Amino acid sequence: MIMTKSVSDKIKEMPMLSVVASRLLELSGDEEHSLQDVAKIVENDAYLTTRILRVVNSAAFAPNSPITTVAKAILNIGEKMVMGIAVGSCSAKVFKDPLDGYEAAAGGLWDHSLRTAIAAREIANYSKREISASLAFTAGLLHDIGKSVISEFLVGNTEMLTDMCDEGKAGDFLDAERTLVGTDHSEVGQQLAVHWGIPQPLVESIRYHHRPEQASEENKHLVYSVHLSDLLAMMGGSGTGADSLAYKIDDNYESFIDIGKDQLAVLLLKVQEEFFGTKKSIFGSEEF
Amino acid sequence: MATIYVGVGEYAASKSNGHVIKTMALGSCVGVIILDPVAKAVGLLHVALPDSSINKKRVEERPGMFADTGIPKLLEEMWRLGCSKNGKMLVKLAGGAAIMDPNNTFNIGKRNILAVKKILWKYKLGARAEDIGGTISRTVTVEVDTGRVSLSSPGRGEWVL
Repeated sequence: MIMTKSVSDKIKEMPMLSVVASRLLELSGDEEHSLQDVAKIVENDAYLTTRILRVVNSAAFAPNSPITTVAKAILNIGEKMVMGIAVGSCSAKVFKDPLDGYEAAAGGLWDHSLRTAIAAREIANYSKREISASLAFTAGLLHDIGKSVISEFLVGNTEMLTDMCDEGKAGDFLDAERTLVGTDHSEVGQQLAVHWGIPQPLVESIRYHHRPEQASEENKHLVYSVHLSDLLAMMGGSGTGADSLAYKIDDNYESFIDIGKDQLAVLLLKVQEEFFGTKKSIFGSEEF
Repeated sequence: MATIYVGVGEYAASKSNGHVIKTMALGSCVGVIILDPVAKAVGLLHVALPDSSINKKRVEERPGMFADTGIPKLLEEMWRLGCSKNGKMLVKLAGGAAIMDPNNTFNIGKRNILAVKKILWKYKLGARAEDIGGTISRTVTVEVDTGRVSLSSPGRGEWVL
């Protein structure tokens, strides 16, 4: 199909993830890694180091005395926050551009991704098998990267896609995308992830976040966490535009995540609040 | 034209000419719009959850987060602007959407709508118009001058409620 071919051309044109970001992602897939490992990678990048030190010394965190080393900074704000800053600033183009095909303004994808990441970190606590909170956070950040590629191929057809969902002609927005362009944002995201060389658990959570039952047994808990987190972010009003809420929940999540209705409501509130706090402390009023 | 943005768990009321009150991207949250044609005032509340008993601490900081504590606050604000307690205020509702969820596992939107209607009923208020449920995200805009309430959603344009 011609359309699919141009999607794959576009993937090849996407900017590569910076070396630092990809090494950090690689590390997040390794459960045995230490804080020092993270610090060593960050210290190799002057821009990222400056950025992280600026965040950790900002009014939002207000340390008692100025923090001057990356290791101390990580201890203070946490590895996940460092990951957020690294991925956000090293792949800004992916997250920052507007998603015209979804009618989402600039920054919409980043807001949704950050909210999903925060939710995934929380939902990871309810996983029936232990999963790393850091990995869940990163998986949440990256789950929708495919939208930055596929968006332009949907331009001009957004209303048709929403009609297909609203009238029940497509099972969900993912099906609608596939009907229109022969692929969907999760498959394209997987291809971009492979192009970037990021670890397998993250590739799977990108590929299957709307179809978690298709993930490998090994990564199902992680993928179901991201699945629920994505939906939770949308319910909280942070989707990426036209497709917001137009996805199905996989009820089998209960086999992997032990979370009840009331806990979900509490989480909705918590994610909401942490999102505003995190967004402000990572980026303040400046652009990333 | 001054636009007042209402965030999650916030509320605002105005009777100033030229003011517009707006809340962005209601998912499962509910926008409660109250119009007083006599006092020429409008109010908007962005409710996130049905019941404040889930987190008592948050009630003091942000009562608008919950239906049971938010609606009284919005009404107080409108009364403060001179709206009559026995006046004929009009209520419109928007939001309360859900993801595609046949078993209603995640349907906080529906619970929000029910809670909002129950609390409104205590004040003898019923919804004159509503655009609720479904699987769409809605942005609400209310104009003080005309009392016009419009909704919009990405990929679905804009329409009047």
